[in-house]
Amino acid sequence: MVEEILTPELVKKLMAFEGKIRGMDLKIDGEFILKKEGKENFEKLKEKLIKIGIPNEYQYDKIKSLDFYPGGLKAISLLAIKQVLGYDDEKIQEIGMIASKSSLIVRIFIKYFLPISDFFFKKGPRIWDKYWTVGKLTPLDLNEKEKSALVRIEGLDLHPVYCTYLKGYFATLTKMVTGGSNVICQETKCSFRGDKVHEFLLKWQH
Amino acid sequence: MATLNEKDNKTALLLEDLAALEGYIHDLFTFSPLPICFVSPLGVILEANPAFEKISKFSINEIVGEPIERVFEKEAVQKLTTDTLEKGIIEGREMTFIPKETESFSAQVFTRARKDEKGKAVGFFLGVFDLTTIKNAEKELKKTQTALLNILEDTEEARRMSEEEKKKTQAIIASFTDGLLVFDQDKTLIMTNPQGEEFLKIRSQDMIGKSFSEFSKLENLKGLIGILGKEMKGIFRKEWAVEENFVLEVSTIPLMLGEEETGTLMVLHDISREKIVERLKTEFVSISAHQLRTPLSAIKWTLRMLLDGDLGEISPEQAEYLEKTYRSNERMISLINSLLNVTRIEEGRFIYKPAWTEMDKLVESMINTLKDEAKRREIELKFEKIGQIPKILVDDEKMKLAVQNLIENAVIYTLSGGKVIVTLKATREELEFSVKDTGLGVPKDQQERVFTKFFRAANAMRLDTEGSGLGLFISKNVIEAHGGKIWFESEENKGSTFYFTLPLKKGLEEFLEKL
Repeated sequence: MVEEILTPELVKKLMAFEGKIRGMDLKIDGEFILKKEGKENFEKLKEKLIKIGIPNEYQYDKIKSLDFYPGGLKAISLLAIKQVLGYDDEKIQEIGMIASKSSLIVRIFIKYFLPISDFFFKKGPRIWDKYWTVGKLTPLDLNEKEKSALVRIEGLDLHPVYCTYLKGYFATLTKMVTGGSNVICQETKCSFRGDKVHEFLLKWQH
Repeated sequence: MATLNEKDNKTALLLEDLAALEGYIHDLFTFSPLPICFVSPLGVILEANPAFEKISKFSINEIVGEPIERVFEKEAVQKLTTDTLEKGIIEGREMTFIPKETESFSAQVFTRARKDEKGKAVGFFLGVFDLTTIKNAEKELKKTQTALLNILEDTEEARRMSEEEKKKTQAIIASFTDGLLVFDQDKTLIMTNPQGEEFLKIRSQDMIGKSFSEFSKLENLKGLIGILGKEMKGIFRKEWAVEENFVLEVSTIPLMLGEEETGTLMVLHDISREKIVERLKTEFVSISAHQLRTPLSAIKWTLRMLLDGDLGEISPEQAEYLEKTYRSNERMISLINSLLNVTRIEEGRFIYKPAWTEMDKLVESMINTLKDEAKRREIELKFEKIGQIPKILVDDEKMKLAVQNLIENAVIYTLSGGKVIVTLKATREELEFSVKDTGLGVPKDQQERVFTKFFRAANAMRLDTEGSGLGLFISKNVIEAHGGKIWFESEENKGSTFYFTLPLKKGLEEFLEKL
């Protein structure tokens, strides 16, 4: 089982993660907590990050949306939230859901949302590249009739908490792209469960 | 060729610019007071600003990713989406906006399609303008409009009715047998009727618009001015002898609107016929009375001679019958005299012969003549003279008649055991006479007619059947002919007090002028 407690060793390990992430995907965590849990809890979260040695320039309010930052920060941020505010997986997914709703990148790519297949196969993978300097998103299958899709992520073994986050992210993105409802996202393969890749199965209704 | 470092710097600068641009767009979007959202071609809300959050009552996180049908009616928004994607722009379409858990309202919706490089619509911006205030204002305006229209209708109806009423009134006025003249507040003639024109022998156009004071310039109206004065004082049933055998009775009535006087109505009533009849009647009474008085006088003297035994001795029984006959004859003569007095009054021949008279002595002498009668009826008759009574210029004979009538009435109509008190007093200006009794009194409903000719109160008739009903009429005429005033106070079954005053100075001069 992968460790979830932010020990100095885990922080060090995560900070050493190769690959960078776009600032906006880090800022959203702070914005979500500030809005949802209030300033006091947000400050507690910040204190925690400082306590575990996260440099000042990596604090939520110092992060620039379009700059790239150490990818491990994302896992540290989510784990700190879990630890400080007692968030469970469902709530971590909720952060992912809100992240896709408020993402500038998603808004920029909105023009590619039609037709769905275009977005899914041609433009969708590019969104990944806008977020991460490592890893690769591959659309494996889209069945509009059955209302299902399968996406693969490879080369990004950050932390299982990020997989949980991505489930929320992909679910909302699918909802926005398809106009569907009751979207369910399942991680059918996970490198932290012994698979080589991560695969996410998306199902929705109309 | 740019080095790798230079490229990194450029990239960093571009990223900075992009971040600033994103911030600017975000601020602009957030600032906009107009609720805006961005909708995908599938009808999914992809972005919304705080104003949209406020109007929809959904938080941003709740509404983003939701179909636009969440806040609009399905069919209407589908048509809006189709039209927007086809036309590129929709400006001000009225739709029903459905906020979360609150009542829906009318809104004006603006859309603009967003297009890709090839010009293909990839979604659209949607702005919402809440029409609630405008709709409410519209409703209020409509209500006001309706109310105004109702008022206008009412006004028109009122105007029509008023016009109708005016026509009716004009028709009534025109067909009135009396002459009517309507003056406004400034005493300017504003309306007359054909009868008025005929009576005054002036066409209405020559009178209307003229003030009453200007009437004096019109020859035919001088007599009217003589009666009313230039200020048109209020009068009631004043006679105006326009010419021989043409007499008008003139009355002026203030026209009141609530408590405000808005003008004056002058009524001219032709009483020529009544005057002729009255004159003929008076002449008849006068002639009849004269004709009756001569034989009655002869009867009186014959009876006197018989009673005095000048024509031979008579038995006591015969004397008794003759005495009764004599008294009846005396009453007849008295009535005839009264009738003659009345006819003289009516013909204006009630000639006065003024002489300086001691009124106290005059009153006392009248009391003395009635003392025996009072005693016989067991009535206390008292005379109270208050202060010095100056001499006064009166027609002694007529004044005696007036005083006698008043005291005699008091004695006749007071039951035995009652009191009659005659009082005489004088101020610097006038002399006041009063006679107070504890008699029958005059019923309230008959008091108005007390001084009219031949009037007798019902209770008085029951007590004494012989009165002529002329005494008070004559008294009134005598007192008024002397410039005095006469009046009374009375309560049935409690008694009456009759008063008259005679002027000692000013009124006296008028009285003398009349002679």
